[in-house]
Amino acid sequence: MWGMNHHHRSSAPADPKSHTTRPIVTGASVLGVKYNGGVMLAADTLLSYGSMAKTMNASRLMEIDQTLIGASGEYSDFQAIQEMLEAKSLQMQSGLLQEREGDEPPMTARSMWNYLRVVMYHRRNKMNPLWNSVVVAGKDGATGEFFLGNVDRLGTTVEDNIMATGFGAYMGVPLLREKWRPDMDEGEARALLEDCMKVLYYRDCRAASRIQLAKVSADGVLISEPYELETSWAGSTDYIPLNTPLALP
Amino acid sequence: MMSSTTSTFGAPLMRHSEGQVVLGGSGEDAVFKPADYPGREQPYEHRFSPYDFNGGTVAGVSGEDYLVIAADTRMSSGYEILSRNTSKLHQLNPNAILASSGCKTDMDQLRSVLDIKSKIYQHNHRKSMTATSTAQMLSNTLYGRRFFPYYAFNVLGGIDAEGKGCLFSYDAIGSFERTQYSATGSGQAYVIPFLDNVIGNRNHTEEKPTLSKEEVVELMKEAFVSAGERDIYTGDALEIMVMTKDGVTKETFELKKD
Repeated sequence: MWGMNHHHRSSAPADPKSHTTRPIVTGASVLGVKYNGGVMLAADTLLSYGSMAKTMNASRLMEIDQTLIGASGEYSDFQAIQEMLEAKSLQMQSGLLQEREGDEPPMTARSMWNYLRVVMYHRRNKMNPLWNSVVVAGKDGATGEFFLGNVDRLGTTVEDNIMATGFGAYMGVPLLREKWRPDMDEGEARALLEDCMKVLYYRDCRAASRIQLAKVSADGVLISEPYELETSWAGSTDYIPLNTPLALP
Repeated sequence: MMSSTTSTFGAPLMRHSEGQVVLGGSGEDAVFKPADYPGREQPYEHRFSPYDFNGGTVAGVSGEDYLVIAADTRMSSGYEILSRNTSKLHQLNPNAILASSGCKTDMDQLRSVLDIKSKIYQHNHRKSMTATSTAQMLSNTLYGRRFFPYYAFNVLGGIDAEGKGCLFSYDAIGSFERTQYSATGSGQAYVIPFLDNVIGNRNHTEEKPTLSKEEVVELMKEAFVSAGERDIYTGDALEIMVMTKDGVTKETFELKKD
């Protein structure tokens, strides 16, 4: 451009470009189960800032085009994923030329999972990952089958009848594997997920008892309002409230 | 929150409440000071590793007119099992089957890239790639990522243009060799010596027997049972594919789940 002063570098070269290498504001586990008639996810509503409990009204479950996604890890990266998937969905809706049956979404859950995988892998190749473990749940296309899968920050994909991220993978998965049956109904699925979320609340110090459930079934997608789990330390010998008289010999 | 204690060398040692050790001093004074308890001598930084080891063992044996290639179906991460029924075998074209272990995300990407290249070849040449060409393509693809490798340990098997079974084993950056038998992955140290014995007939004085593909399949099962016994990343189930000029068959054999 005319008249621009082109400043030449005279001082030492700048530091190499670096990326955030650790998550700052984080969400804890997301759990998921397939049941007879749908698939259900659960997540608590807490966002942590290191060891500080920052917010108790975050929603870590979200719907895009009849597919549910839930994420643990860095919350800002999850928000970026939400925006990206919504943009992608709009782009696909406007770009699709073929006829679609009624309210068929442009992406099935499986194709959204695949797309997310590509995105996560691309970011990890640039050594600047989206620091999330994302659970994808929904309908698997025309068959009427349901889909439940996971993509992590490296782009590793897993598909199964049960899913858990973060601490849920260590504490929830054994319970889910033990209790899961293919003919579980919605009530049983909910009870199983709540049970696991309680265990996580007791033993994961970054988890909370205020949770949200979300389900995809033939009727569509539903994300519940947050509610409190019924938890209690009474009966545990680990925890003795102050002022309890001790039985001394 | 920073709290200051004095190290054994008498200089201030700042310790972050999360447990990290920050070097004492500033500017010119900043020197390496050992921490006052073991394991914290060096400052450590959070670093993102683009790789994960998702485990598994793969093995293959080529015969006179057949190929047997097998892989377990466990996918792990650290001490966690992510899946008990993931396939590590993938048929790329009518003449070649790829078996990979290592980092699952790289294995999946490699598989996609090779599929696309195979399709393009098919379109351009109006025929499927031969096994030997596929082997070279895999090597070139791996070397293309020489400076950020696909963390995938591969065994490629097929039927060559002369109708003989062939097997190629690779390292992560594409160095490859045609061999009669091979194994790679977390349990390779348990499988290779066994194959050396029964397939390679090493250190046997009697003549090397000709093995049928059925016998090799049974030997493969034995090899993986052994590997599963001692390698924590190998187990759950074994997928065995047998390729001949007439086609491919697949069999699944249960392994221990522990």
